[in-house]
Amino acid sequence: MAALWKTCHQCLRYGFSNASIYTSITAVNVISKRNFKAHWVAPTLRELQRRKVIEEDRNGGPKIFHRSTFLEWNYDAEIFAFSNRLGEKFNDSSLRAALTHKSYIERETARLSDIGVESNLQFHDNEALAKKGGEIMSKFINGYLRAVFTQVPEELIRAMHDFLTSNATLETVAKHIGLGDLMLCADFPCKTETYVKSFKAVVAALAESSGEERARIFVQDLVVTQLYGQDVNELWNPVDPVGNLTAILKREGKAEPEFRLIRQAGSNSILAVYYVGVYSDKNFISEGAGESLEVAKEMAAREALKKLFHTEDSMRALPFGRQLKNIQSRIAQLENQPNVPLSEWISQKVMSAVH
Amino acid sequence: MSNSHLFLPSGFLRTPLQNGLGRYIPQLQRITLKFCKNHGGSRGVRDFIESDLMEFAKTNHGTVVYLKPRRHRSPCMVAEYLNGEREYLSCHEFSRDEVHKWLSYMCTRSGIPVMRFRKYQHTDYPTVQGVWNPFTHQAPEINVAEFPHGVLSKPIDHGQTATEQLIEIFKKTQIEDPVNKPSN
Repeated sequence: MAALWKTCHQCLRYGFSNASIYTSITAVNVISKRNFKAHWVAPTLRELQRRKVIEEDRNGGPKIFHRSTFLEWNYDAEIFAFSNRLGEKFNDSSLRAALTHKSYIERETARLSDIGVESNLQFHDNEALAKKGGEIMSKFINGYLRAVFTQVPEELIRAMHDFLTSNATLETVAKHIGLGDLMLCADFPCKTETYVKSFKAVVAALAESSGEERARIFVQDLVVTQLYGQDVNELWNPVDPVGNLTAILKREGKAEPEFRLIRQAGSNSILAVYYVGVYSDKNFISEGAGESLEVAKEMAAREALKKLFHTEDSMRALPFGRQLKNIQSRIAQLENQPNVPLSEWISQKVMSAVH
Repeated sequence: MSNSHLFLPSGFLRTPLQNGLGRYIPQLQRITLKFCKNHGGSRGVRDFIESDLMEFAKTNHGTVVYLKPRRHRSPCMVAEYLNGEREYLSCHEFSRDEVHKWLSYMCTRSGIPVMRFRKYQHTDYPTVQGVWNPFTHQAPEINVAEFPHGVLSKPIDHGQTATEQLIEIFKKTQIEDPVNKPSN
């Protein structure tokens, strides 16, 4: 009995210092080691944790501190590392301006004037840079999309562009390159718009510092790669696929699309499935499946359009990074040439695939 | 062996922000080395700082290195990654080489927590030819066929049964014989 008690006591003493099993960790990952703690350490820590949880619940969440409030913070070193991390060279003044927000400048001048110091601040804000960055980013994205998706109507290009330049996508990109700690802004935690503005301004700063070529490659490497894994057909679908298909075939001089039922199963049940095939002049174009005849017909028309636009599920993989080396000039060329819109689309108008 | 006894979380292979698809961005944002200037437990860290740290900082110029001397405290390193995760490691009584080893380990991590990989590959496009469904490779004749059907009701690659093979062999022997033997 005594031996059992002693063993238990020793187990408590020779406890593991890995806290991650017992407490909820959100940020800190610990590589564990054995440790000897006095008998009062665990109960004390438990009580402190209990009180901390109560405080946090009362305040609506844990206290968060900006990284610059830490003792170990060197803004110049952070900026230096930022440009090296991305492998780009920035003009120091451009980059600092790109990361400074109007709200920060206003706050600082107000603070200094409250103290009574004459503010001789030479801060430039990123409003102009952000606007320019947004424009050139759109241009680069459109160039890439038109060079890669050559057969696709302009409406789908626009949908993909809107997805890539949406606030959600750009905020993710901005957060993951480390802009969160570098931005000088009055709001903390920083709003989505602040991140997006900073990122666009950084793109413009890069174009100013290293030239448009490098900025184009930067946008391709960071923003356009977010298209990977996305089903482009989920981003946009023509409203009336049957009507659009009929119009396209008519414009091409081919016969009207004929929809035929090719498979069906379980027609009296909830899990009915109908396969409808689209034929033009007895040539098979595509088939689609659905739970009712109307749905199957629409799906078949959608598949036919996907085939025409070369955006089927089995389409070629998108090129990224080094694979774009040969088509950079083509991308630059197509930045200002929109694709054929859906209302005028015929196969003869679109060129064959570039890559 | 099952993995249910492990406390280690499991997941699929992933990388933050499609890293490597466009360009590779080293994920270690900053590393803080905290050590005591006097105590013996920090000796390895101090030796590392004096000899190997500059080279490390030069090769990893995308990472900010902070040094924080703290009296009467054991040494540790805290790595912060671009996705916001932090990783803490106690360096108490490490040798200089050990510090170097663990520091380069931190460099190669992304901030994604250590986990057991369920699969060592991942794809967002699992199928190219389309997922099989019962209608794949079915002859269109089944739509208008009356079952039981002479051809479609039978197995596809039936082949000859043993009986049929024997009958064929017998027929072959029958043809060879008439010259030599009188047939009954």
